[in-house]
Amino acid sequence: MPDPALPDPAPADPSASPRAVGPSATRQVWTVVGVLLAFGILLPLLVGLYDQATPTLLGFPFYYWFQFALIPVVSVLTFTAFRLAQAATRRDREARGLKGDPR
Amino acid sequence: MNHVDGVALTIFLLLFVLVTAMGFAAARWRRADSLDSLDEWGLGGRSFGTFVSWFLIGGDIYTAYTFIAVPATLYAGSVVGFFAVPYTIVLYPIIFIFLPRLWSVSHRHGFVTPADFVRGRFDSRPLALAVAVTGILATMPYIALQLVGIQVVLEVMGIGGSDSSSWFVKDLPLFIAFAVLAAYTYSSGLRAPALIAFVKDTLIYLVIIVAVIYLPIKLGGWDSIFHAATSSFDAFNKDNADAITAGTAQAQGAIPPVTVHWAYASLALGSALALFMYPHSLTGVLATKNRSVIRRNAALLPAYSFLLGLLALLGFAAIAAGVKVDNPQQAVPQLFASMFPGWFAGVAFAAIAIGALVPAAIMSIAAANLWTRNVYAAFINPDATPKQEARQSKLVSLLVKFGALVFVLGLPSTFAINLQLLGGVWILQTLPSIVIGLYTRWMHRWALLLGWAVGMVYGTYTAYTVPVVGDPGSHFGGPLAVVPFTDTKGYIALTAFVINLVVAVAATALFRLLGVAEGTDQTRPSDYHADAGDPGVEDVPLDDLAAETH
Repeated sequence: MPDPALPDPAPADPSASPRAVGPSATRQVWTVVGVLLAFGILLPLLVGLYDQATPTLLGFPFYYWFQFALIPVVSVLTFTAFRLAQAATRRDREARGLKGDPR
Repeated sequence: MNHVDGVALTIFLLLFVLVTAMGFAAARWRRADSLDSLDEWGLGGRSFGTFVSWFLIGGDIYTAYTFIAVPATLYAGSVVGFFAVPYTIVLYPIIFIFLPRLWSVSHRHGFVTPADFVRGRFDSRPLALAVAVTGILATMPYIALQLVGIQVVLEVMGIGGSDSSSWFVKDLPLFIAFAVLAAYTYSSGLRAPALIAFVKDTLIYLVIIVAVIYLPIKLGGWDSIFHAATSSFDAFNKDNADAITAGTAQAQGAIPPVTVHWAYASLALGSALALFMYPHSLTGVLATKNRSVIRRNAALLPAYSFLLGLLALLGFAAIAAGVKVDNPQQAVPQLFASMFPGWFAGVAFAAIAIGALVPAAIMSIAAANLWTRNVYAAFINPDATPKQEARQSKLVSLLVKFGALVFVLGLPSTFAINLQLLGGVWILQTLPSIVIGLYTRWMHRWALLLGWAVGMVYGTYTAYTVPVVGDPGSHFGGPLAVVPFTDTKGYIALTAFVINLVVAVAATALFRLLGVAEGTDQTRPSDYHADAGDPGVEDVPLDDLAAETH
């Protein structure tokens, strides 16, 4: 679907990683974002961490309440990642000569 | 069963007709507008604040999957039944990672379907066709799940059902579900579902909140619910010890033993990876205002997992309430029928039925649009007029629903969740072309196609060979199979995906060595970061999709 709004698209460089477009100043931030998200994905998948009935909480076996507890934990991880990503994106965009915040 | 509660049935019909008729009327009333209301389906919405969009998205998450299919697995004592909770937890970090890139490149190039992107990125019509056809195929069993949801609600209300000897009366609820869905989509398109979202979602939340608070109190608290469930499972395992050893019955339980940890984790991960490959999910994402709406919502959405988890546990509540049904999918409706006063049971049934009808309509329209745009207009009739395209969409939308009906009738549907998981086996094979394609163009277009083909064949064949427990020789009995070279069971979709990826990587290396032409990439690295207001970023033409269905 060629986009008429974009005159003369430059041929893409297949070796250029899109992330390399951003300045290296924010690379560390993006690494932290990646680690936070990796935790959010891996933690719920490690069933061995929580496959027990005890201790119970409010009548819920450990297995169940632990997974419910993971919901806010992963939410906090993802929200922290969101704030970091937002700030890093702003800096990346300004470094590329774009408005820091979208319209 | 099969005794009709007049009050419940009356309230159900009243609410159901009222809400759907409202959709029709509203669709007509606002016909002149552009289809901005489509945004209501999106993650975030274009004109709504965070809370309102949060509310609306939630209403879309609670479908027959959450009300019927997931609690049914817990009721039946499946040790992996609770996987839907980790599924919805890991979903959000995953979409946080890749969806913003897809948003950006789609808004730069006017892509509205995954197949559009694949065609632009890899310059390969066959690969785009493969992605489109997979999307259409995989949507059918997902719609089938929604049909089953409506079917069991009607059965519990005493309309037809499994007790009858006549095949027509037996399947009458299914035919009614199908007819209602067909009529609903045919006359209203995408507009009606969007316009009734508020009413539908209010109804759904009301029922969920009442169910997860009122029922546990009535049943003596979660403590006694868990006790009732585990002692029921223990008793079953004791009574059927011989059959379980012989493999003709499945041991029941509430917590997965170490042998099924991978099964549990792979079901969660595979489902999460698959969700945003479906054509109907992407439409909503593309309708959002800008990139960061996706990320903010990714952080807020997990709150839904709470209610989803509590709804799942209603399967145990049904055991505690002494609900005895042959079809485990009737457990929750039956629980509502026996615990709620008639009028509120009617409200709950209406919520479940509308909650299944609306997503089924959206899915079948999305699949039909995918056909019209990426198969019909791309291959069959490139000069098609808008009128011809609209006719195609309407026709294919109907065919997709027939396909869903075939899935319900042709495959074991005691656990409709297995239908949805079969859809996952197929749709996940498009992930390398779409998600990996968002990051690198190293993969060769023909290698991606080869990997897709191998993944599809392996996944379909493996799913075919899984028998229903206790029925040797039957097919498509479940989502799990032994992972090759191990003795551990895992979700077939994820195994097929890994095989797909290995083939694609190996073949890419080979094709690059041989210098096979790789086509021209229409996208540029900066496209993957573009945000609203940047040069060349325009609202994606979602109205095009809408126009095709009217």
